[in-house]
Amino acid sequence: MGFWLEFIPSLFMGLLTTFELVAISAPLGVTLGVALGTARVYGGKVLGSIARAFSALFRGFPLIVTLFLVFFGLPELGIYLSPIISAILSFSLCSGAYISEYVRGAILSVDEGQSLAAESIGMSKLQEVLYIVLPQAIRRAILGISNEIVYMIQYSSLAFAIGVQEMYSVARTYNSLYFKSFEIFSLLAVIYLAITALVTLIFRKLRKRIEPYSDSKAEFIE
Amino acid sequence: MKVVIKAENVWKKYGSTIALRGASLELREGETKVIIGPSGAGKSTFLKCLNLLIRPDEGRICIDGEEITSLKADIIRLRQKIGFVFQEFNLFHHLTAVGNITIGLTKVKGMSKEDALEKAKRVLKMVHIGEDLWNKYPAQLSGGQKQRVAIARALAMDPLVMLYDEPTSALDPGLSSEVLLVIKDLSERGITSLVVTHEMGFAYEVADTIAIMNNGRIIEEGSPEEMEYMKTKEARNILNRWNGMKNGVLA
Repeated sequence: MGFWLEFIPSLFMGLLTTFELVAISAPLGVTLGVALGTARVYGGKVLGSIARAFSALFRGFPLIVTLFLVFFGLPELGIYLSPIISAILSFSLCSGAYISEYVRGAILSVDEGQSLAAESIGMSKLQEVLYIVLPQAIRRAILGISNEIVYMIQYSSLAFAIGVQEMYSVARTYNSLYFKSFEIFSLLAVIYLAITALVTLIFRKLRKRIEPYSDSKAEFIE
Repeated sequence: MKVVIKAENVWKKYGSTIALRGASLELREGETKVIIGPSGAGKSTFLKCLNLLIRPDEGRICIDGEEITSLKADIIRLRQKIGFVFQEFNLFHHLTAVGNITIGLTKVKGMSKEDALEKAKRVLKMVHIGEDLWNKYPAQLSGGQKQRVAIARALAMDPLVMLYDEPTSALDPGLSSEVLLVIKDLSERGITSLVVTHEMGFAYEVADTIAIMNNGRIIEEGSPEEMEYMKTKEARNILNRWNGMKNGVLA
């Protein structure tokens, strides 16, 4: 009983840290992904190439390498970041790189007629992208984006490697003290599952709200 | 009457295919001109060149006296003088019927939301889109309704001229006539119109002038009454082939 009384409050604190990691990294990753995806399509040679290189870079090596580079590597260049800031930065960069792929694909899937129509009523390129193309592209990319955020919940556990006291890190510490692996990791699995289910549900509701009006359903409704 | 659109010697190539071979055209204020011609004649390309949705390789196009093909031209401002209606409607999928109209008014014209909404309702009534459809999304509208909303969207920007690019070719005959009636109604209200269509009945009934296009240029034009006296054999051949389709689209 003493073990649980000690473990549960600690795990709860770890859960809050996991929430903090995901709640900050997810919007940053989405924003970065949308910006990079847009730059890849509309950024011209220079911006487009930078965005492509960025995306290739952060999809090109494991997240744990990014974490170590940011937390252990940057201090050698005189940049010192706390473990949690390092984790948030790494998660945002990694998810931004993947989300940019979904956004880029979604932008390219918006038919050319939408751009022509925007131009025909006198919109500038910037207005066309902001008000016509991106709102439609983000609707189409939302499935991929939700998948990426669910994945982020899972890989947030990697932050233990740079000393962030998130859920997995707490569980690991208690396991090495009490050797109750089955109880500890079963509970951890259930909690991750519950968070994932909750996020999936939220995105499903969001998709249902916007999908009935998407062009993909046009033929079905007619 | 002042000239609203003047296109001179417009050329456009796609690789080795020449779509326009020196097409020229003049459209005067209040005039309704219909361009007819076989598929592949370059009609749609020509129409899209007029507001620079496609940039021609050569030639000069003036809108209301200003050259839109000039490299110094303020294309965005000049495009606002031209309403364009597409064959495939191209309504903004993520916006309602009203939203499709207000977005241009608020973002391009800088109108307040309230004023834009009022105006949207006014133009939707003009194209016979009832209140029950105002908040529907394009996916919830029929083809004819979509095209009428698209006409309203172009009309709301107060253009000097309306260009229609085969506005009924994606519609069945019943829905075509509801769209053609709207175009006829607007034309009778004195709105300058240039219509590319295969609907010969409409052309004879509504046009002030019919222009015949073939092989990337306008070969001859005249009033519907003058169609029987075309000078060139090329124009007479096209008309002979097409006159069978003249009967009663608007009936």
